[in-house]
Amino acid sequence: MNGRREPPVVSLAAGAIAALGATLVAGVLWAHAAPGDPRTGVFWAFGVALGFVLQRSRFCFASAFRDLFLFGSGRIMRGILAGLAVASAGFALLMWRMVPDPTLGMVAPEAHAVPLGLHLVLGGILFGVGMVLAGGCVSGSLYRIGEGYVASAVALMGILAGLGAGAHTWNFWWRASIARSPVVWLPAAGGYVGGLAVTFALLAVAYVLVVWRETRAGLPAAPSPVAPGPAAGSSLAAPSGAGLLDRLAVALAAVLVRGWSPTAGGVALGVLNVWLYLAHMPWGVTGELSRWAIGVLEIAGVGPGPLQGAGTLSGCALVGTRGPWISHALTLDVGMVAGAFAGALLAGEFRIRRPAERRRYVQALAGGLLMGYGASLAMGCTIGAFFSAIPSLALNGWVFAAALALGARVGVSVIRRIA
Amino acid sequence: MRTLDVRGEICPYPMMKTVEVLRQTPLEEAAVLEVLTDHPPALESIPLYVSTMGYRCTIDDVGGGTWRIRITRAGC
Repeated sequence: MNGRREPPVVSLAAGAIAALGATLVAGVLWAHAAPGDPRTGVFWAFGVALGFVLQRSRFCFASAFRDLFLFGSGRIMRGILAGLAVASAGFALLMWRMVPDPTLGMVAPEAHAVPLGLHLVLGGILFGVGMVLAGGCVSGSLYRIGEGYVASAVALMGILAGLGAGAHTWNFWWRASIARSPVVWLPAAGGYVGGLAVTFALLAVAYVLVVWRETRAGLPAAPSPVAPGPAAGSSLAAPSGAGLLDRLAVALAAVLVRGWSPTAGGVALGVLNVWLYLAHMPWGVTGELSRWAIGVLEIAGVGPGPLQGAGTLSGCALVGTRGPWISHALTLDVGMVAGAFAGALLAGEFRIRRPAERRRYVQALAGGLLMGYGASLAMGCTIGAFFSAIPSLALNGWVFAAALALGARVGVSVIRRIA
Repeated sequence: MRTLDVRGEICPYPMMKTVEVLRQTPLEEAAVLEVLTDHPPALESIPLYVSTMGYRCTIDDVGGGTWRIRITRAGC
């Protein structure tokens, strides 16, 4: 693994307690800002956990799709597939408890099954190009803001602007495509067993395709171990005969200092997603961002007006209804930034990172705009329309994934030209 | 020894620029290319990519969220 200097256990533990303590206190104070909704605190905790896992495993949906085309690496995509398998089983159980007989025409509440049509394909392609341009998707931009990436903050501005633009054209797309498109929820046809069987079969096919890409690219089957360099301090292995404190320090460092494997990250995200659905609804990011984007537009007097049919859709469709500025969905999004910040701080990886070239900011902004607009069409991002849609046993998750891959492929040829 | 400073670069440019440099002027025997990066994902992608080009890496954590990746010809 990577050679890192191992911080002494005392400062590590003190830092951990301080950072997590501060994070939780901030969350509790925040939860009090929205009295009457106990979910704000719960969702804050979820957000922090998600951000922490994303940061520790360097999980990035954008690079998962992008690297398949950039150099044939499926490292993170294999982690995503593992997470999807875990979440699919969990979601199926939860949906079965809510809707025992899925063949009667009712889709399980909160499942991310949305109308499947041209809008979804177009949204996925635009999103795929945008996430490669910006160097991260929406969740990726949120957690990288927590790590100190200035360009990711610019990308987020673009995402909000893109969602606002999407709100202005929503009614056109609603009439032209969304309202006419069917919702294809696999259990409605084949029950939960059938839906799960199809989902696992598709995951297996995807896994084989990913490994085939890696084989063709000539990548090593196992990641080549990287030796710590000569300047690295003591290695992260406890020598035999090490004391209890030393062993605990090594265990703690494995979690807090060293990067996790993508598989560990993917499985953790899958489990968290199941728990989120158990608590209220599957993981989603862009719905709340759209509520803020539209809210700001309305204050400026350039709101999109009523959004036809958006309120009837599940997933992360645009939210045009006004509510309190601070909601449980917001604490989830902001918690992700905070969790990533805590993770980066503990690992000694926090750093304000500014691109040297000005064109990177333009690139991040343009990528964000494409992502925001694409997410408005697809009713979600790599999280809501993909990582929560496939486990919902909805076909739209797979169609969006294919469109994302196509967009990422286009994005790769674009970034190769703007080196 | 050559040094490539890609600090501040967004994903995936740290890796792309490293590969570009190695493609244009491959390393001689016993030569070293040092890449200075503050992008954690590059610690995974650079060693993986350059291994297919016949290179190997060692990584030093230089603190403050920055790493030095030393790239040499495999077998040197």
